[in-house]
Amino acid sequence: MSVDPADMFRQEAQELLEVLEQNLLDLGLTPDDQDLIGSAFRALHTIKGSGAMFGFDRVAAFTHHVETAFDQVRKGKVAPSPALIQVALAAKDHMRMLIEQPEQANDAAGDAILKDLQQVVDGVEAPAETAPAPSAEIKPEGLVTWRLRFRLAKDSMAMGTNPLLLLDELRELGQATVTALTDEIPSIEEIDPNCCYLAWDVKLTTDRPQSAIEEVFMFVIDDMEFDLQRIDATPVETTAIAAPGTVQPVEEVAHAAPAGLQKRREPPSAKTAAGSIRVPAERLDELMDRVGELVIAQARLRQVAASSHDGQVKSVAEEVERLVLELRDTTMGIRMLPIGSLFGRFRRLVHDLSSELGKSVELVTIGEETELDKTVVERLNDPLVHLIRNSIDHGLELPEVRLQAGKAAQGRVVLTARHAGAQVLISITDDGRGLDRDRIRARAEENGLIVPGTKLTDNELFQVLFQPGFSTAREVTSISGRGVGMDVVKRTIESLRGTIDMTSRPGGGTEVTLRLPLTLAIIDGLLIRVGSGRYVIPLSAVEECVELSPEEDARSRGRSFLNIRDELVPFLRLRELFNATTAVDPYPKVVIVSSGDLRVGLVVDQVIGDHQTVIKSLSRLHADVGTFSGATILGDGTVALILDVANLVEFGQVREEKLKAAS
Amino acid sequence: MARWNGDRSIEIVTLNLDGEIFAIDAAHVREILDLVPITEVPHSQPFVNGLINVRGKVVPLADLRLCFGMEQHPPTIDTRIIVIEIELDGEPTTVGLRADKVYEVTEVAAASLEETPRIGMRWRPEFIRCIGKRGDDFIVVLDIGRIFTRFARTMPAEADTPERLSA
Amino acid sequence: MTKTVLSVDDSASVRQMVKLTLSGAGYQVVEAGNGAEGLAKAKSTAVDMIVTDLNMPVMDGISMIREVRKLPNCKGVPIILLTTESDSEKKAEARGAGATGWITKPFQQEQLLAVVKKVIGG
Repeated sequence: MSVDPADMFRQEAQELLEVLEQNLLDLGLTPDDQDLIGSAFRALHTIKGSGAMFGFDRVAAFTHHVETAFDQVRKGKVAPSPALIQVALAAKDHMRMLIEQPEQANDAAGDAILKDLQQVVDGVEAPAETAPAPSAEIKPEGLVTWRLRFRLAKDSMAMGTNPLLLLDELRELGQATVTALTDEIPSIEEIDPNCCYLAWDVKLTTDRPQSAIEEVFMFVIDDMEFDLQRIDATPVETTAIAAPGTVQPVEEVAHAAPAGLQKRREPPSAKTAAGSIRVPAERLDELMDRVGELVIAQARLRQVAASSHDGQVKSVAEEVERLVLELRDTTMGIRMLPIGSLFGRFRRLVHDLSSELGKSVELVTIGEETELDKTVVERLNDPLVHLIRNSIDHGLELPEVRLQAGKAAQGRVVLTARHAGAQVLISITDDGRGLDRDRIRARAEENGLIVPGTKLTDNELFQVLFQPGFSTAREVTSISGRGVGMDVVKRTIESLRGTIDMTSRPGGGTEVTLRLPLTLAIIDGLLIRVGSGRYVIPLSAVEECVELSPEEDARSRGRSFLNIRDELVPFLRLRELFNATTAVDPYPKVVIVSSGDLRVGLVVDQVIGDHQTVIKSLSRLHADVGTFSGATILGDGTVALILDVANLVEFGQVREEKLKAAS
Repeated sequence: MARWNGDRSIEIVTLNLDGEIFAIDAAHVREILDLVPITEVPHSQPFVNGLINVRGKVVPLADLRLCFGMEQHPPTIDTRIIVIEIELDGEPTTVGLRADKVYEVTEVAAASLEETPRIGMRWRPEFIRCIGKRGDDFIVVLDIGRIFTRFARTMPAEADTPERLSA
Repeated sequence: MTKTVLSVDDSASVRQMVKLTLSGAGYQVVEAGNGAEGLAKAKSTAVDMIVTDLNMPVMDGISMIREVRKLPNCKGVPIILLTTESDSEKKAEARGAGATGWITKPFQQEQLLAVVKKVIGG
């Protein structure tokens, strides 16, 4: 999709060489024209710079000398004589050759041209490339503690320097304690918000060399007060910060002067630690997209191979399928992170909350090694924080109350994570007072969320807790109870294509369970047909497929169960649900799917086969259709909808209960 | 009649819906496709009850004939899909529009509906952005953003269809 | 929030490289082909950072930096110049005009990213 940068450079260089030639020729006629000289110089400068960047080293090296010569012309030290122009034109030809036909370009000829050029410029030497003096790198000696006091120039912020980013960079080097020195802040009437009045005193313990600390300040080092001392050995107290540019000498350490600005910065190499590599997340996303496209293309290949009689094509198609599957799994695996990285942060949270609220809390985590897609892990942070806060704030009772109720004074919050099929189950359980059904019910009816008298299961009742603005907390504490949190939690979980359920025992505690799909992108699916439409069922939710015998089919009319091997399974006829109008198939199939502990049988016209499903989200316009969780593109290019099994299972259960109640 | 100032002009794509000529602002239009297989979405609102594949992207398909109470005749060889991009709830969304025929992209002088009351009265004024004049003809330019906002609201689902039950 | 970087260079290939590198890392990139265009962009677009070449037609980098520093909506915006090593005089002049830092040419993608991250963060 993107243009090859080398080609782009070649094209650009051609244009510039044209410009250069014209300039040179015109310059022959009007040697005093500064604009022409400037234009020629810029062309050379650009070719040199871009050439180096895109790997055209010979061009860059050669052009560098020509550019230097022209710099002299630009400065007025050398006149653009006909001789100079002649050589310059020859140089231009050589440059062109180097770019277009590098294998034919003769380095000796190039050198000759440069020699001539030099002669014409009257022996003014092209400035030798000053090799950057390697700075004396102080070998890291394990952990060293430094004391750094620095003050930036007053106008440094106006000039784009962000002191906070400098402090962050220091923090990345190791353990840092930062104190701001406020002595130079003027009174409020005099403060100019664009000025930096602060100085900082930083104690930094790091195993990085001194040059790493100085490098943080590389852009500002010329205009600041900078005092860096090592303080493991006898600390030398300096009361005043050194004057700009100079550095107070300290007995112990050879202070390298602020790092030579000429030195080329080492490209920060990819951090390799124990064989791992840092990759920008966007590249992973791109990789996923490519793999997704590959999966779709492979589906098409499969179709083509199926209708082909060529044995070779078939066997290659099979091989490709196997490889694509493996690639898919490997790629998905790259993005997985253990949830323990999140759980770890919560320890601190629980500790702070327990002291703030005066409750004693023990946090137990189970299943920290459970892996989730990276984006899912990141987005779970806020919802989990909120749920944990809720548990501790509202769920857990004060120690005295707990003791009176016969419980241990210390409350317990348990975080668990585990895989279940293609889902991850994360639960937050507390052993507190549980949810007060009556109060919730009353409040819900008050707010008009529930019609009084409707029969609701616990789960349905607790769903009102997720309505925006709903809160039964008697007071709004600073932590929770504002009623703004739970609806956001629900929305976040939904946006991850997950579900959230609550169960509770009065006096016994509450359990919130999050169910999330393991991957957001590609899953194994079962392709089925209902009427003239095709749909995909996530294979992980499928328990089995059985044929519906005509007898059982007849028997099931008007009943809510199917008898599958002597087990009664609630069922849904998808033909009815989807208003299929085609002729009925003689041998419908029942696909038995499960969601959690519940099962339902889906009666379909045909089970076509398995299908690697690249999940495409549905737009806002279809987001409200609960039956479908997404869409995918089939091998023949048509769109197939993916069934939302949890939704269908629940719907099936509700229907069954209604039918039972009615009969 | 209206006085055409002439300094307001707009680029439009003209299309045919059940014999009537309309236009939409060309700024919304991304491309125009021949008819492709349409996947029906059960339980969706009739206005957007289809999905199509546009170069690997799953795009909802809308039928404007429903907004104007027109009959939905089966497609012909002239039927096209206009792929547009509009803002829904603040998010840019790609949608396909079914058209019985697409004529051309053209520039017309635009006048507001207030200036041309006689023309606008046939159609609901809230769906009309302005009236374009081309030669002696008047073309109704639809306010596509508003049409979608109006029709894309969740309509009450039928009793026996699964809505969003669990959170 | 996505940060926006203004890339000013008369070389299309340099601009292309900057754009590919930075947008790949999640930054939004707007471009200009010379100092005057760069100044116009800085006036009209909210940018979080400017990366500019020195030698450009119409208006060169240093003049642009001087003018940008006068703009009220560009207060404190970091301006990084692209410079070859022999330009130490230019560097000093640019600092005087208000530049925040520099990247030496030719530069690698990682160097560009490191400087951008240093100067405006993520």
